[in-house]
Amino acid sequence: MMYKNSYLYRYWQLYLMLIIPLAYFFIFKYGPIYGVIIAFKDYNLFKGINASAWVGLDVFRDVFGMKGFYTALRNTFLLNGLDLVFAFPAPIILAVLLNELRSAKFKKLSQTVLYLPHFISWVIIGGLVYQVFATKAGIVNLVLAKIGLGPFPFLADKYYWLFTYVSIGIWQSIGWGSIIYLAAMTGINKELYDAADVDGASRFRRIWHITIPGISTTIIVLLILKIGDMVDIGFDRPFIIGNVIVRDFSDVLSTFIYRIGLQTGQFSNATAVGLFQAVVGLIFILGANYIAKKTTGDGIV
Amino acid sequence: MIIGTKKQFSLFDLVNVVIISFFVILCLVPFLHIIAISLSSNAPIISGKVTIYPLELSFDAYTRVLSDISMIRSLIFTIALTVGFTIFSMIMTTMVAYPLTNPKLKGRQTFMYIIIFTMFFSGGLIPEYLLMKSLGILDTTSVLILPGLISPFYMIIMITFFKATIPSSLNEAAEIDGCSYFGILFRIVLPLSTPVLATLSLFYAVARWNGFRDALFYITDQSLYPLQLKLYQLVMNNMVNEALLAEGMNLGVQLLPESLKAASIMFATVPILIAYPWLQRYFVSGLTLGSVKG
Amino acid sequence: MKQILPKKKALQKTALLLISMIMLFTLVIGCSNNNTANTANTPAPSETTKDSDKKTEAPKERVTLKVEVFDRGNSPDGMTVTDNLMTKYIQENFGDPNNIDVEFVAVPRSEEINQLNVLMAAGTAPDVIFSYNAGAIYNFATQGGLTDLTDIIKEHGPNLQSYLADSLQYGVFDGVQYSMVARRVHLQKYISLIRQDWLDKLKLPVPTTTQETYDTLVAFKDNKLGGDQTIPLGFALAPDSYEPIIWSFIKEQSDEARYLRSVTIGSREYPILMDGHKEGIQFLNKLYNEGLMDPDFALDVDRKRKQEQIVNGHVGMYSEDAVSSYWNDTSIAMTLEKNVPGANLTPFLPWTDFEGKNRQPSYTPSGMHIAVPVFSERAVEAVKYVDWMAQDEVIQYMAFGDEGVHHTIVDGFPVNNASDEAKKLLYNSGDMLIVTNGIDFGSMEKNIESTVLPVIEKHRELAKQARINSMKDSVQQPIQFDKPLESEAKHSVIMLDKYHELLVKSTMAKPADFDKTYEAALKDFMDTAGTEVINERTALYNAMKK
Repeated sequence: MMYKNSYLYRYWQLYLMLIIPLAYFFIFKYGPIYGVIIAFKDYNLFKGINASAWVGLDVFRDVFGMKGFYTALRNTFLLNGLDLVFAFPAPIILAVLLNELRSAKFKKLSQTVLYLPHFISWVIIGGLVYQVFATKAGIVNLVLAKIGLGPFPFLADKYYWLFTYVSIGIWQSIGWGSIIYLAAMTGINKELYDAADVDGASRFRRIWHITIPGISTTIIVLLILKIGDMVDIGFDRPFIIGNVIVRDFSDVLSTFIYRIGLQTGQFSNATAVGLFQAVVGLIFILGANYIAKKTTGDGIV
Repeated sequence: MIIGTKKQFSLFDLVNVVIISFFVILCLVPFLHIIAISLSSNAPIISGKVTIYPLELSFDAYTRVLSDISMIRSLIFTIALTVGFTIFSMIMTTMVAYPLTNPKLKGRQTFMYIIIFTMFFSGGLIPEYLLMKSLGILDTTSVLILPGLISPFYMIIMITFFKATIPSSLNEAAEIDGCSYFGILFRIVLPLSTPVLATLSLFYAVARWNGFRDALFYITDQSLYPLQLKLYQLVMNNMVNEALLAEGMNLGVQLLPESLKAASIMFATVPILIAYPWLQRYFVSGLTLGSVKG
Repeated sequence: MKQILPKKKALQKTALLLISMIMLFTLVIGCSNNNTANTANTPAPSETTKDSDKKTEAPKERVTLKVEVFDRGNSPDGMTVTDNLMTKYIQENFGDPNNIDVEFVAVPRSEEINQLNVLMAAGTAPDVIFSYNAGAIYNFATQGGLTDLTDIIKEHGPNLQSYLADSLQYGVFDGVQYSMVARRVHLQKYISLIRQDWLDKLKLPVPTTTQETYDTLVAFKDNKLGGDQTIPLGFALAPDSYEPIIWSFIKEQSDEARYLRSVTIGSREYPILMDGHKEGIQFLNKLYNEGLMDPDFALDVDRKRKQEQIVNGHVGMYSEDAVSSYWNDTSIAMTLEKNVPGANLTPFLPWTDFEGKNRQPSYTPSGMHIAVPVFSERAVEAVKYVDWMAQDEVIQYMAFGDEGVHHTIVDGFPVNNASDEAKKLLYNSGDMLIVTNGIDFGSMEKNIESTVLPVIEKHRELAKQARINSMKDSVQQPIQFDKPLESEAKHSVIMLDKYHELLVKSTMAKPADFDKTYEAALKDFMDTAGTEVINERTALYNAMKK
């Protein structure tokens, strides 16, 4: 009893801090969650969720039976996988390079410019993509032609398109993504760098043995979060950069939902796919967290 | 021992600068293109001749945008909204992150799972709309602040940073001294965490500034339209598409010139661009650990 | 001692934190309360006239009618789409005499379907809702969400019955009048234009048959009249490029063929199983492989590239929506003439079918669907509103305002005088005048005249000729069933995607691979959605025939 008293006595402030945020989660996040039931109902807008007919797993059967579903699922993993391998490390590398810049002015200037693409909406980017990547008249191909290369069908061949898709993703997020790693780097003890200099360590060794380990926790946490996102994919990039010719690869779950769901008022379908993604995503993130904790001791829970 | 700061400008440094400059140009060019369009006349624009500098210079587009009072009002509203939202979100995120940093807190894992769960499961547009309706916050500023108040993603980042910068010895020492957790939070943790606080403030601010999908469905009062929503409407309503053609009376509808769209984009984007340079000064480590120890 | 002080400090800190949060919270709520207070004050000024009216009006109860209105974000300063000169006019001339407070509810144009869905689900949709998407309206109807208007119209809608005589039928599903369908005035869909100066250079006549058009295209290419980047046929992946060509190859014109071997996607009819469809696509394949159209056409969905190519003088001929290249001084035609001195465009009819006719798609005279949610208590008032609007004087005022103030008479037609007054009154007249899409001046010739009035002087006759062209041998599409098809509404987006895949893949295939590619793509189309749709169409057709 004494122990219990002293536990609360010691920690009551922390619980107090938690009260309002938890209330927020319950009201705004758990409040509407009953909506997932729509996936099990033949949702009628006018009867409302409760009075709509219960159809059990019919909606899931329907959706999983659609030809396009598995293609969309495969493509989601394909595109996210490519992003994970190429686009995930990119901001890290950029942050390291920025950190190594000698001129503070140049560093500040570059940072300010590098994150500009993040602010350009996809609708605008879509308008520019053709100009840059078109097979004959695109800027990239024109430049490559001058040095005797190409033309490459960046948008007209599905394999080349993967390259285009990932590249544009990197361009758009590399600057913005590096911010967090740079913030993490400020927490690295300067004395470590000084010691390394005394030992005469090369740049690469400094980076490999001090900088990277210094931000390793951040990297792992972001990696876990990214893996949790593997089955989820934004709508804008595949939709805007994709086109009819590369449909085989550009159709993903988000565009699939758009086609079979919301535009035509098929809420049940859209909810069912969303629910599927939620379950899979949760499994992924918990799995990734487990592995991370077992191997490195870092995790998100 | 202080080592002389003059080091050789090595090959590495040169390559570094080249690589980064390459990326800088890559990121700058599209922006210059949009600026160029906003300052050009219509004919060269639709002929596709405008690249990164204006042709047939014209300030028409900016004059029109800046004389549109609703845009100015929306700008002011959006700035106020973004600042308010960021402050509120940061306070709430800190309040939830800090306790969860403490490994001794009972129920910590449960709370984490509860919160992570919400990252994946959501009710969808209609239940959320109904909730806002029953809370009576539709068409108010609150509906643009409350629903997105805490991002679990950012919360996790904050926890990670707190764990990394605050050595556990500190917590123990404080507990022994009977120092309050509020005290630790305010006097030690927060001052040491300026980089993550600055980063997350930036993230929240940008998210709120760029976001408009919530306003699209929850707000009908035009004086509460965030700037990006006005921009979205401007762009979408002026694309010749299925919808416009179906209307059949487009003969009187003058589609906005591209330059006006571009000027509006600049108008809606430039203010938030200032945020990062301004916050950059916080991206230095807080008090060095040395002064805290002991 | 040391223990107590920190505790006190902790309490103080907590209190401070809570207080500051409460303050912040109230600030936020306070701001929003101000706004809600403001919005409560700004709807129709009817609120303020109500009291004065109450004294003089009949002892009937005053009711509120909520009407949807599109918000395009273009209201002049000081006005909103829910409170402006036009809303005042409506309140004074319809609302007050009928004891109704007319309140407008703004819906952003770009998200209208989603927004409508949400409002219907929440039970807060306005009494008068509308949409161009017949499928969405039908969706609401099948879920039991719309009021049956048949009897109400008979009793309270004499004006609209006569004004909408041609279009009301499109709102009848399963024998029930679910929506009042607005009149669509301008039925022209596509026009085709050719570089007259190129024809002159080659001393060629304007082609009038498909064969002649093909030969002309080849001549354009061989002579590189547009430079190295000559594109004889301007073509984008959009209906206004492919529909005119494909329909000219169709050999079956009976209603039965259209019912059983076409599918309807949105507002267009796709004759995918009809005799001649394959030949039409094969023709595109020929044009593509012979370099007569842009090799990157499949990437040009928004038609920007096509437009650029045209104004830069590379294109010999093209088709487009009747919202034509002829407009004001920044039009496509004007920009072309500016970039390429001596260039000029002439309207013509390039594609002829197996009978030598120009068979072209045109619109049906049906416009917007106006409906009343089932949970609305103002169905009668809603019908009365549309009925009131269907009167000539009202249409005249809502479209043009007062003569001299908002418009002037030019050649017998009212032309908006672009004054501030006109802008303030009429900036969204199209969205307010829901009973008609376009203004009807009594005859097709007159209507075409009215559309070309805003066109720049030197292109006016050409614009007129282009529109007259587009009505030649025209066929109104899409063909109508008793009700919209569920499968079509459900699969509309997929079908369009698959059709475009079919078109692109078949067109871009090597001629030797054409058959194989076409058949495979067709099978894909049918398997994904086509078969289901055709089956439903067949069933409905048979039911209709009985």
